[in-house]
Amino acid sequence: MTDPSTTATAPPSGGTTRADLLDPAHLASLGRIEIVARWVVEGFLTGLHRSPRKGFSVEFAEHRPYMPGDDLRYMDWKILARADRWMIKQFEEETNLRAALVLDVSKSMDWTGSGDRLTKLSYAEHLVAALAHLLIRQKDAAGLVRFDDELKSVLSPRARSVHFYRLVRTLAEGHGGKGARISEALFRAERMIRRPGMVIVVSDLLLEPSAIDGPIKSLRAAGHNVGVLHIMDPSERALTSAGEAIFCDTESDLQVSVSVADVEDAYRETVDHVVEEWRTLFSGAGVEYAVVTTDTPFGVPLRKAFRVRENLP
Amino acid sequence: MLAGAAAVPLLLHLLKRRIDLRIDFPAVRYLLRAKQDHRQRLRVQNLILMALRIAAILLIALAAARPIGWLGGSGHLPTALAIVLDNSLSTSVIVDGAPLIERLREEARGLVRGANSSDRLWLVSADGRVVGGDRGTVLDAIDRSDVFPGQGDLPAVVTRAAALVRSAQLPGERITVLTDGQATAWPRGVDVGAIPVIAYVPSGDAPPNRAVVLADARPDRWTPNGTVVLRTNGWGPGGDSATYRVALGGRTLARGTMRANEEAIVRASPTERGWQPGSVEIAPDELRGDDSRYFAVWLGNPPSVRLDASAGSFVQTAVSALVGSGRVALGTDIDVASADAATKLPALLTAPSDPVRIGAANRQLERLGVPWRFGARRAGESAAHGDRMEGVTVALRYVLEPSAGANADTVATVAGEPWIIAGERYVIIASPLIPTGTSLPISAAFVPWLGDVLAQQLGGEAGRVLALASGAAFRPPQGTTGLEANDGQVLPLDPAAARAPMRQGVYFLRRGPTRVGAVIVNAEPDESDLRRLSDAALTARIRGRDVSVLRDAGAWRAAVFAAGNRRPLGTLLLVLLLLVVAAETFIARSGLRRIRRT
Repeated sequence: MTDPSTTATAPPSGGTTRADLLDPAHLASLGRIEIVARWVVEGFLTGLHRSPRKGFSVEFAEHRPYMPGDDLRYMDWKILARADRWMIKQFEEETNLRAALVLDVSKSMDWTGSGDRLTKLSYAEHLVAALAHLLIRQKDAAGLVRFDDELKSVLSPRARSVHFYRLVRTLAEGHGGKGARISEALFRAERMIRRPGMVIVVSDLLLEPSAIDGPIKSLRAAGHNVGVLHIMDPSERALTSAGEAIFCDTESDLQVSVSVADVEDAYRETVDHVVEEWRTLFSGAGVEYAVVTTDTPFGVPLRKAFRVRENLP
Repeated sequence: MLAGAAAVPLLLHLLKRRIDLRIDFPAVRYLLRAKQDHRQRLRVQNLILMALRIAAILLIALAAARPIGWLGGSGHLPTALAIVLDNSLSTSVIVDGAPLIERLREEARGLVRGANSSDRLWLVSADGRVVGGDRGTVLDAIDRSDVFPGQGDLPAVVTRAAALVRSAQLPGERITVLTDGQATAWPRGVDVGAIPVIAYVPSGDAPPNRAVVLADARPDRWTPNGTVVLRTNGWGPGGDSATYRVALGGRTLARGTMRANEEAIVRASPTERGWQPGSVEIAPDELRGDDSRYFAVWLGNPPSVRLDASAGSFVQTAVSALVGSGRVALGTDIDVASADAATKLPALLTAPSDPVRIGAANRQLERLGVPWRFGARRAGESAAHGDRMEGVTVALRYVLEPSAGANADTVATVAGEPWIIAGERYVIIASPLIPTGTSLPISAAFVPWLGDVLAQQLGGEAGRVLALASGAAFRPPQGTTGLEANDGQVLPLDPAAARAPMRQGVYFLRRGPTRVGAVIVNAEPDESDLRRLSDAALTARIRGRDVSVLRDAGAWRAAVFAAGNRRPLGTLLLVLLLLVVAAETFIARSGLRRIRRT
């Protein structure tokens, strides 16, 4: 079996542009999800001054170009002397972290407010793939739980590189149920990891806080580090339609007729308030929480998830 | 209609509109929550939007009505101002020790001083005179304006003022009328359209007034007897009677006291001869201009008559009576005879009593140069029609047939045909003056009628009396060369553009050195009635979009130039409309919260 990652010879723009900072929709249009994930992770790692799990005292892993701020103690002087190239030596640590990526694939996720943007689901899938690739590349074990109104897919954590492609195939499985039974998905993730690990939830959180409050606390009580990436379309953060319209919920029969001009500000305030409620809820439980809009380059949420990883031993 | 239009947004607001656009939206729960959380604010916002939309429609409707209103700011717009000064005779009345016209002039001066160099000014007086120019010119014209000794024509003057103001094409247009508000000065309404009119009428009631409203010499030609018919009118306290004096040629004919609104007759047989001026005067009161009224009369000797027996016994008896009363003398001036027996003109000619003499009569008429002939005989009783012919019947007559050059007045008719005609130096009666021919000689009116015919028609041409208003145009008799004033001065007269003198009095028409008639200039009797119109009635007479009547001079003066800021509000309303629409759009798009923040 050919490693698909090898087909992606170079990231977009000849490597001078970091893929993790590109427009997600544009980037997603350039290749398959696993390739995009690899570009994103490479760009992301390039931007890191210090890799979390690539230390400088264990086993040599690879070289990378010197970047201002790097510790000169790790400069490879021999290469500098021979080839006049400034290179930093990187070392690889062994790890046994187990991570579960919990992805909401309900129907509400399969929506975008503009044809120029990815749907929330597509964005989340790319993000999950990048996360998995990052974890597996660091020798962490990454698993996947997909859910809507039921558990759609469960993939146990593995650290082998081939597992990444299995995970990518799982992302392509069916979705679109009318509802999000997140509690069951989190329960399954908890059982999947067993010892303290990391759980990253990727969802639009169009659900009742009570549905997630208990399971999250349970995860925390089990010693897991939890991160929640709240995926939102920019059109959900601020109404962009004009005039009067009937807005129909994609998951229920709920309808409401409004004049956008009339409720525009009130809606924005309400969303801000909801986000603040989520932030309060999650911070109270010691959960990293971040709102991610689908026009945000993947590097940004990746860094937020990375923060959760950093807190682990 | 306006209310209906204004109700449209209200109805749209109250009735839910159909919304066709459906949008799939996962975060509907946030929308619902937003609506619930901000219900009160949204309701207020909707009410404000509705009010703004109603205001927009009202502003459109108001702008379409092209209103005129007040705008702030100092000074006034460049204004075309026509000052209509009522200087008719009635404004010469003494009020509070001074003529009313002085007060009107003083107020007019004050108004003109308040004008600025960008204004255009006209002084238009009741007699139709117009002076336009800068402040100095108009002030000078006000100083020189005098009382017009007549009624004038204020409606026509206001119409003229409106035309002047329109012609200036200035942003501000104004007419102001300074008047005593006399009711008879406004016999008809006047329409000034959109030009604002501000009238000033001094406060107070009209003073009482007595006036001579009739002074008529009857007939115009006295030989030498005649009568003067006079009447006085009175308004207000003490106006029910008046003491009068009738003068002729500088001599008092009669004095007396008479009741108002009743006629008095003064008979006289003056010794003067020729054209004489006469007047009727009453005791002076607050309005002096109508305390005298003028007349003129021609005085001459009684005409001498040669009475031919062919005229008949009834005519002989009548002439004897006239001779006895002194109105006629026996002599040779006028022939009174059957047409066949007449020897010369002037003559009173009757049809011969014998039908056989008709041919001779016609030949004699031809010989005398009279262009009329007796024609077919008409028998059968018919009524005669004409002055003093009531009850007169005609049983026998001859049709009067004109020949070449016939030009005569018809004095009486029978069955629609001329019966008595009066030409130059002849009067023809188409019946014999005998009871079997006509009842005229036995009627009561016959003797005075005959006397008038002999004295007025055949006694000689004295001339005409023209009763005119001050400054009125007239056509003088042919050959008139001048107009002789009271002081004997003769003014040249242009027959094509003759106008009566402005000053009241008696003027004689001159043909060379000879007086050939008289022009009598008197004020219109209506001008003596000083009763005033109410403000509402005066406003109704001056029809326009913006007419006001003020009695306080200060308020009036302030209003005239304050009204300079009254201008069409269309632009302002459209600006307001744009602001309202902008506000509506802003609120509709941004909501109240953004407004509060800003």
